[in-house]
Amino acid sequence: MPGLLTSSGDSSSIVPYSPEPNTPTVYTLHHGLKSPIAPRLSISWSRGNSLRVTVFRSPNTTSNSIDDESGGKVVDLKLSGEDVGSEITDAARWRRIVYGSVSPFAHLQNKKNAMAALSELRHSAPYDGEWSKYVLEYSKEINSLLGNKKSNPISLIEDPKIVLKNVEEPSSLKAAWELLEIFYADKQSHPWIPEQLVDWLSDYDTLLSGQVPSIHLRLVEFQAELISIHEVENEPKYWQAISSALAVGWLDIVVKLLRLHGSYHLNQLGTRETENGLVEAVAVIVSKMPRMRTDLPSGKLGECYYNKSDFMRAWEKWRAQITKLDCSAFWLQCSHHQTKENLKNLLQILLGNISTLSSATCHWVELYIAHFLYIRPFTSGLESMYVLAQKCIQLKPTSSPHKLMRLMLGILEENTEVVLAECSRSFGPWMIAHATELLTAGSIEAEILLKEERDNLGGISIEESHRLVYAQVLSSHALTWQIAPIYLISCTKHGVGLLEILLYKQPAYHSQVLLKNIEICRMYDLDSVSSNAMKIAGVHHWKHGRKGAGVFWLQQARDEVRLNRIAQKLFDFVGKSISDESFEQWEGLIELLGSESRTAGGLEFLHKYRDFKKSLQQVQDGILNDAARKAGEAIISLMKNPSTPQRFWLPLLYDSLKLLNWQEHPLLNASQTNLLLNKLQELSVARLRPDFIEVDLPPNALSSVRVALATNLGRAILEE
Amino acid sequence: MEKSVATLDKGTICSSWNYCGQRLATGLIDGTIAIFDTSDPASSSFTSTFKFKVNNGSVTKIVWVPPEYGDAIACISSDGTLSIWEEISEDGEPVQWKQCTSFGGHLEQVLDSQFGNSISSLKLTIAYSNGLAKVYEILDSMELKNWQLQAEFQNITDSVTKFGKASCSSASISWNPERSESRPASFVLGFNSDTPQLNSPKVWEFDQNHQRWLPVAELGDQGDHVYALAWAPNIGRSYELIAAATSNGISVWKMASNPDPNGRLSVEKVGLFSSLGSEVWQMEWDMSGMTLATSGTDGRVRLWQSNLNGIWHEQAVIEPAT
Repeated sequence: MPGLLTSSGDSSSIVPYSPEPNTPTVYTLHHGLKSPIAPRLSISWSRGNSLRVTVFRSPNTTSNSIDDESGGKVVDLKLSGEDVGSEITDAARWRRIVYGSVSPFAHLQNKKNAMAALSELRHSAPYDGEWSKYVLEYSKEINSLLGNKKSNPISLIEDPKIVLKNVEEPSSLKAAWELLEIFYADKQSHPWIPEQLVDWLSDYDTLLSGQVPSIHLRLVEFQAELISIHEVENEPKYWQAISSALAVGWLDIVVKLLRLHGSYHLNQLGTRETENGLVEAVAVIVSKMPRMRTDLPSGKLGECYYNKSDFMRAWEKWRAQITKLDCSAFWLQCSHHQTKENLKNLLQILLGNISTLSSATCHWVELYIAHFLYIRPFTSGLESMYVLAQKCIQLKPTSSPHKLMRLMLGILEENTEVVLAECSRSFGPWMIAHATELLTAGSIEAEILLKEERDNLGGISIEESHRLVYAQVLSSHALTWQIAPIYLISCTKHGVGLLEILLYKQPAYHSQVLLKNIEICRMYDLDSVSSNAMKIAGVHHWKHGRKGAGVFWLQQARDEVRLNRIAQKLFDFVGKSISDESFEQWEGLIELLGSESRTAGGLEFLHKYRDFKKSLQQVQDGILNDAARKAGEAIISLMKNPSTPQRFWLPLLYDSLKLLNWQEHPLLNASQTNLLLNKLQELSVARLRPDFIEVDLPPNALSSVRVALATNLGRAILEE
Repeated sequence: MEKSVATLDKGTICSSWNYCGQRLATGLIDGTIAIFDTSDPASSSFTSTFKFKVNNGSVTKIVWVPPEYGDAIACISSDGTLSIWEEISEDGEPVQWKQCTSFGGHLEQVLDSQFGNSISSLKLTIAYSNGLAKVYEILDSMELKNWQLQAEFQNITDSVTKFGKASCSSASISWNPERSESRPASFVLGFNSDTPQLNSPKVWEFDQNHQRWLPVAELGDQGDHVYALAWAPNIGRSYELIAAATSNGISVWKMASNPDPNGRLSVEKVGLFSSLGSEVWQMEWDMSGMTLATSGTDGRVRLWQSNLNGIWHEQAVIEPAT
């Protein structure tokens, strides 16, 4: 399956869209055994993606050696780990994301089904706007699971020397999700994409620092040095930090840094008045930059404009102010050369001078953002955005682009396959299983690509295959397998098939697991699966001596074949001990079996036999007449009943000797006694057959029964 | 990503997990079986709970009996016998492993054996060193003692021809994992023998109406020595996938689910990979039937998958640290 496997967490996994077979990833298995190990490894798939590999030590050497090394190890390998490619290595945190994403996912699927049903009813296509709303809600919910919004990474705090605030390291998973949200889910905000990207970069430029130089890194380095610098304005790094921050729109940092300028010092104000005026003028212009966005988080600078025409007017006016300042005569009076040059440079950035912007930024995404801020504050479709991105890449090429860069480029290129491959290989099965909802909402082309059923995939769509892969990942862990059904059930073609196998592979003899299994089966109408699990549990308990639990679960499973076999076993048991008084041992079982006697033919007999035994017991206990009459009725009923096995006839009659020889009056009338005599006769005939089973009774049992019956018959006739 | 779950006894030479991966049976060179268990279904640390001797030779293969028939294993030993052992508590005694029955022996050595688990009954296929395959059926679903021979045949497509003495060194059987009443029982069987006609993997299907086994497909050429076969689970494909490891390499076969007018199932080889001189020992499909794992004499585990274009390729190699 595409994208299923990745190696031990690096990014050398397969991109599934290449038609060329890739070279396989080589993975080293650490088993901790001393060599020599046998060349043969034994393999077994456990649930999901978990492969168990048994490594054996060479038996020849171990038998000769005196060390007490073990003879082998079984190693459990989780292929396609849940945390592949993401920085989330903490299992508990990862599980929170996994659990948390179930409800938004299921909710969205329900909405989808409801809308599909509704549109079928109305014979019309579902209303797109409504669907977009749900997808956005879903996206926001998932996004919130991936960590807190790092809204103010560059915030101003009390210490004036601290320009960058240390906050929790964001995850690239969240960064990737937000990119998808911006481009695919949040359609209402498309006019503000440039500003969204500005925010995105300010949140996640730190992630890119890991692989390429970045402005964030530049600022972090500068901040470390800042403490020891006395006259910042003489320091090229100071001006470089300001121009870089300005290029990507981190205006609050720019203003804060500008105000560290030496001319602000009280003792300097007199001598450097003009210089200070110019610095402040630039700071004011920066802080008044018009922004095409709905609002700004607190602490962020700029002036918001909601609609394009207002923004354009403000932008023109603002640029006019910059030009005016640029041509101002005050520059001539500014004696501090570095200040003058660098402030002018900042004005060039504000005016959108491409070469200034290029030198102020570190990688292409920063330059790209700078473009939106100072050169072209509007977008006109993804195509032109892609062209612009290409241009920026040419100006700032990177040899090994960061995965977020690759993802962004895929999105801009409108190449769903690249986006999918990047999601899959860099962010793992969780990402791709959840992100397809955003992708399909994003474009019709993506929807066709993802939902088209493919023969090469065994008749399923790419979307479904990714969900199956994710469900496999969930299945491989004891703490997450229970949520796999939610994803499987959203797979219309192969989901139920895999769900059935997953449920079958649960240890049904653990009652907790069995109950969970039954609950899931009930939810998805998988009766045959649950009855099979109950059957497994029933047989397990029966064979492990827990006969009651065994019978109970086999009954729940409605397994007539096995219940009948159990009934037969009980017959054998009863047959052995019919003359004993040990029926209490199996009375409970008969009780249990009896409640569903229709499932097992001979159980009716066992039931009646129990009643008979009870009455007989009472007779022996001295509760006489009534009990004796009842016992008499029971023996007749038993002997009449066709379900009473023949081999029980004689033991039953032998047990009833006391009844047949009842002193006070004959308990059985003539016709009843005749019936019993006939049975006895039938038995004598049957004895001649080879398959007759002889019962273990005293040798005179038959004759004493015959005599008793004859006597009883005589007395009964006399009485009648 | 990797975690040691069990430490095995000295002299262990084979191992087998039960249906849910919660019990491990290992076979030792001295004919002992060791069972490993975990107390809690969520735990992944297995310790030895039972040990019993099944044979004077060594245990070469262990197969678990399907769970609907209890906790039981079939052990193939180096002397060519197959014995079935069951974990049971009888007459109030503590749980212990008891032998139920055995098959094969000196004259008819058991090479491979697999259980076929249809919903109604349990079938046991045994491949013998003389080239015969026998199918047994359980008589009483609550007892593993009594088996009835249902069929006995040679692994050849032509039902008229019979071959005399064949000498086989290994065989492989793999049942269709689907447990549905609507589909006929079927398995694939191949030999590694001196009789080419017996070798190639053939798919056998039970003809319910005439109560007989029929060969319905042949995977590959006669003469390919078969080392291992694996029938993939099918979660909804319209065709079956069967992997075969032969002297020619590892191949993946696509087989139609429904027969053509001649009653044959059409097959197509969708992947063939050279095994580079190594002999495949074991092949296992994952539960979705999407990934095939193989292990062989080269001491490596290889994983095979199909990409979006339906092209099978080697996805990963797992090699033990030295």
